[in-house]
Amino acid sequence: MAAVTRLNLPRSFWLALLPAIALLLLLLAPLARLGFAGFSGEFNALGDLSLWQPWQDDYLRWRVLWSVAQAAITCVLALALGLPLAWVLARFEFAGRRLVLRLLMLPFVVPTLVAALGVLALWGPRGLISSTLGINLQDTPWLLLYGNLFFNLCLVVRAGVDALGQVNARQVAAARTLGATPWRSFWRIEWPTIAPWLMSSLCLVFLYCFAGFGLALVLGGQRYATVEVEIYSLVAYELQLGQASVLALWMLLLTGAVALGYAALEKRLGAPVRTEPVARVHPRDARQWLAVAGALAVLFVVCALPIFAIVIKAVYALWTGASGLFDAEALAALWNTLRFSAVALVLATLLGVLHALVAQASVVWRALAFLPFVVSPVTVAFGLLLLYPSWTASLPLLLAAYAVLAYPFVAKALSAGLDGLPAHLTQAARTLGASPWRCFWRVTLPLLAPALRRGMAFAAATALGEFAITLFLSRPEWATLTTLIYQRLGRPGQANLDAAMVLACVLMTLALLAFLLIEWPVREHATADSDGHGSRVGSGMTISH
Amino acid sequence: MLELRHIHHRYGDQLLLQDVSLQVQAGEIVALLGSSGSGKSTLLAIAAGLQRPDAGSVWFDDVDISAVPPERRGFALMFQDFALFPHLNVQDNVAFGLIEQRLPKKEARTQALQMLEVFGLSPLAQRKVWNLSGGEQQRVALARALITRPRALLLDEPFSALDADLRVALRDEFRNRIRAAGMATLLVTHDAAEADAMADRAVRLMAGQLVPDCNGAAG
Repeated sequence: MAAVTRLNLPRSFWLALLPAIALLLLLLAPLARLGFAGFSGEFNALGDLSLWQPWQDDYLRWRVLWSVAQAAITCVLALALGLPLAWVLARFEFAGRRLVLRLLMLPFVVPTLVAALGVLALWGPRGLISSTLGINLQDTPWLLLYGNLFFNLCLVVRAGVDALGQVNARQVAAARTLGATPWRSFWRIEWPTIAPWLMSSLCLVFLYCFAGFGLALVLGGQRYATVEVEIYSLVAYELQLGQASVLALWMLLLTGAVALGYAALEKRLGAPVRTEPVARVHPRDARQWLAVAGALAVLFVVCALPIFAIVIKAVYALWTGASGLFDAEALAALWNTLRFSAVALVLATLLGVLHALVAQASVVWRALAFLPFVVSPVTVAFGLLLLYPSWTASLPLLLAAYAVLAYPFVAKALSAGLDGLPAHLTQAARTLGASPWRCFWRVTLPLLAPALRRGMAFAAATALGEFAITLFLSRPEWATLTTLIYQRLGRPGQANLDAAMVLACVLMTLALLAFLLIEWPVREHATADSDGHGSRVGSGMTISH
Repeated sequence: MLELRHIHHRYGDQLLLQDVSLQVQAGEIVALLGSSGSGKSTLLAIAAGLQRPDAGSVWFDDVDISAVPPERRGFALMFQDFALFPHLNVQDNVAFGLIEQRLPKKEARTQALQMLEVFGLSPLAQRKVWNLSGGEQQRVALARALITRPRALLLDEPFSALDADLRVALRDEFRNRIRAAGMATLLVTHDAAEADAMADRAVRLMAGQLVPDCNGAAG
């Protein structure tokens, strides 16, 4: 193996060059620039700013503490709801179970702003539920928490189902014969096995909620917006770059700490081992059927209802003949979304394939693919703004930033696929006369097609729903569907809200197409992209929101 | 003639191959015996060009091919897990090497079908390889290896994944087919009976060095 690595070192270097430059110029350098700005106080002309200001100022302290609190509360809620749901899905066999597991991927491709509008369509002003029940949740934390759960409950449930599949049936059987009740055997055998997996997924949930932007911007309101929204407001509206950079520095430190915890947990988990999983049973009595029905009902209310609400609102708006829904502005935004996403997808695929090929030989390089997952888009955008002030309204920078945020999905899916590819297949091809390139083209690529498709679909969904970077770096004429939805939300009147709902519906349809590409059932080759890999990839994959 | 000259190779701290030299004449089948982890598969990978030795060289017909990449050596390597390409059907698996020799696809497929007929596998030509039995997969792998008319055939425990009855039946069939093709063949195995049945002579890899196999009745 050592000899093979040595043999390929020059090739690895060239393969790694492009992704390394992209990561360095578009992620690491902007973060370093931002860190320097926060630390050195270069925008602190009046000298009234300190590194500790976020903890000294009441207003900023509330923003930071609330950001932590809303992420922590979401984690608790996601675990409390997600673990029983995962248990039901992992232990009971019922018609439609596989479909439900597939649908759990759905929120991962729904753009943040669509989710935010879904929550508003249910609970916002004239929302389907709020107006029926006569309650008003505006200016409460519930809208944001509901939005957070919409995205993250599925993540915890998927991780839980995967983890419960790792529980060894023989150990459970042994515990039962030694006198443990089902409940005791859960606590003493199943929980220790699944806890690290759940903790790992909760780290991701925390990161996504803590560093989330779109949901907090739309649903947080004045009082319950997060630090990310505050950074955006300071940069875009108040031009307080000093305060923004200090806040961004603290965000970097806090997210970095949680990301390190996540990496440590992932390392401990390692590769899933083959065990004899606990067999699923058909629900027998009313109590068990009630558990299945309850689980499906909770999933429907949290993860599906907001999507239905948007469709209902959009159809109603079209039915009542709302005007100006598809004006030139909307069509231009649709066109921008499509062309930006297409270019980003091509770039992301190129970067992702190169990154994955090198990742086979280097653990550090593999870990680097996680970087864009854990860094908030607002931080990246702000860093790019500081580092390349003259290019802030340039299309190449915008598209390159899109690609860097999207390519880890391709890299991660392909790496998992490559792990599952027996080395003998490529060796056989080489001895049958195929050059390295021909071997990649005729053997590796066709076998990895399902993994590549999966990664590209996630990357496409990320590009379609990109919001934060576009808001920071775009020009008015480059408005995409997400930024136009946000603009319409900011304008007064029911007509604008209707238009936002219709645009959200269009965006969601595009995201659904990506979802169908991911989860469309295909007959996959026995050796590549096995179920284990697919689910593991899935559990680690969400779009950053 | 395939020649391995003074091969040295380490795996981590362990000296796996120590001054190993071996010659295999055209038309000769040599069995390479050894326990698990003795380095026999590594030696085969070095002969195939998939791995580069720390020291030593590989020669064919008095030409040093140590720096020649595996695809240009004109050898065929058969693996114990068969290494059939799961995305291709039986016919395209067999045609794979011909297409790499720049034969037009149609011509390659026709030749592959003829080869499958010789092996009695033509009814399976359009089948996906994972639907085949172990013995059928092994035959397809041999057909795929032989169709390119390799200068040398390298077999890495080719029967270890098969059950005992099939193993005995196939090794007779393989020996006859390999003899008919008449190339230098190096057979790696840990099974002395298999070496006895298939090979002209046998050598054993012990503590990194080659010794003549005393039990081998080959010849």
